[in-house]
Amino acid sequence: MVSRAAAAIRTRPRREREAEVLVWPDLVFIEFISALIFSIALMVLSAMVNAPLLNRADPDTTPNPSKAPWYFLNLQELLLHMEPAWAGVIVPTIALVLLAAIPYWDRDTEGQGVWFGTKFAGRLTVFGFTAATLVTSLLIIWDGSLHVVWTENVIRGLGLNSDFSWPGGLDWFRNLRGFDTGIPWESLGFTIGGFTMFEDWRAIPLGIPGTTTDPWLLNLNFPSFLSQQIIPVATMVGLPVLFVVFCKGLGWIHSRRDIALLIFSAFIGVYLTTTIVGTAFRGQGQDLKPPWDIVVLEE
Amino acid sequence: MANLERAPRRSFNDLIYDLIFKNYVWQSIFRTGYPNTPRNQMLAVATNVFLHLHPTRIHRTHVKITHTYCLGGLSFFMFLGLTVTGVLLMFYYVPSIERAYQDIQELEANVRFGQLLRNMHRWMAHAMIILVLLHMMRVFYTGAYKPPREFNWVVGVVLFILTLLLSFTGYLLPWDQLAFWAITVGTTMVGSAPVLGDESKFLLLGGFSVGPNALIRFYTLHVIGLPLVISIFMAVHFWRVRRDGGLARPL
Repeated sequence: MVSRAAAAIRTRPRREREAEVLVWPDLVFIEFISALIFSIALMVLSAMVNAPLLNRADPDTTPNPSKAPWYFLNLQELLLHMEPAWAGVIVPTIALVLLAAIPYWDRDTEGQGVWFGTKFAGRLTVFGFTAATLVTSLLIIWDGSLHVVWTENVIRGLGLNSDFSWPGGLDWFRNLRGFDTGIPWESLGFTIGGFTMFEDWRAIPLGIPGTTTDPWLLNLNFPSFLSQQIIPVATMVGLPVLFVVFCKGLGWIHSRRDIALLIFSAFIGVYLTTTIVGTAFRGQGQDLKPPWDIVVLEE
Repeated sequence: MANLERAPRRSFNDLIYDLIFKNYVWQSIFRTGYPNTPRNQMLAVATNVFLHLHPTRIHRTHVKITHTYCLGGLSFFMFLGLTVTGVLLMFYYVPSIERAYQDIQELEANVRFGQLLRNMHRWMAHAMIILVLLHMMRVFYTGAYKPPREFNWVVGVVLFILTLLLSFTGYLLPWDQLAFWAITVGTTMVGSAPVLGDESKFLLLGGFSVGPNALIRFYTLHVIGLPLVISIFMAVHFWRVRRDGGLARPL
């Protein structure tokens, strides 16, 4: 029994000599030119734009906002929407492991070596990228409470109600934290038999002996757990599943390669959106701001 | 008829050609003769340690720019450029918190082309990350990770992580506010790991906050530790491209 990998090599048809070109000069020339173009472009860029150098490092003066290097700002963006352990470590680790695992899951050797090799690859790519970008942006807008600001401004601006403010009954829909702070958890206890369940949602005893300093392990703060862990994780798992189900319904998915195309494109969309928002749209206190309103203060 | 037997008249160009390419020293370096015949062209690739990364012939589709956009090769080229500019930067830079910032200022002010050198290093680092990401997208969308290239895709993911780490460790070295706080934010994220978070942060920084120990650790990782590791993975990556049958193409 040969492995699929070995079989893939074995079944490759013999190389047709006429279809081949010599590496020297055909490939070496292209490599040389592309290296030359990049050298010149970078030289020009370096002559025009200086690498930033701010004041000498000072542990007592914190810039606001403080930002990681731009390629980690997608993670820093995630940090604003969920428990730090998820955003900083678990999500990127899982993402990288899943990324590395793609070829072990999508093993079909068909459709390699050509761009967008399946029938619906183009649509899946465009849909995955666009939908993920849109959904991510909407989620960021929602968690930044921009919909609250916009609604208030529109209603006040139209003169409908000059004192309008977001109704208290919708406090839970202000942002992600709204599920924590905007719901009257204290009055949500219920009774089973003679016991009143979850009278105090913010300290549900888990019965785990206290060997750790993490308080939620001992007494679960359910509202906080819901908004910082359950909802973000459910979103990150649920949306890709939803995407796949939706595209399957459209008849676009016929193989694992199609699913991979959809999810990878969506991943690229999320990656780009969070990076751009984290880089250009986060001002003081990590508030959402247009790029031209962002000033770095030193405090 | 006598005309035909006479050797063709040797032009001045031929003379120069022979002088350069047919002398003893040249031929001791390049054994195969000037690559102007198919045989010599293949030998030029096969007998040169740098060029023999390539096969001698490749499929016609692989030299189409739109097939790869040269992204992998350019990522490697960025690495080479970063090594050269990095070595030059090391001449002027001492990784101590007393001197680091001052050294960068002096490099920019007093060293001829110092500012250009630093700019090149920084923009190349950014370019490398973008190129590696684009290369990954190219490989994905052309389905080039499929068997038998599964493992090389994994090596590629490792190379991507190493590229980010190389850039991240270099970010601290100028020891300005940008560097200091970016690394503070970054390492705080590491510290929030559910298991061994604080321990990994301590290991990375050599302390509880960014200070002299962190600077020397980041410097050492940046200039020797990570470059060595990434070189090994790159060697495997390139070797496997050849071993797995060159670039992917339709079966």
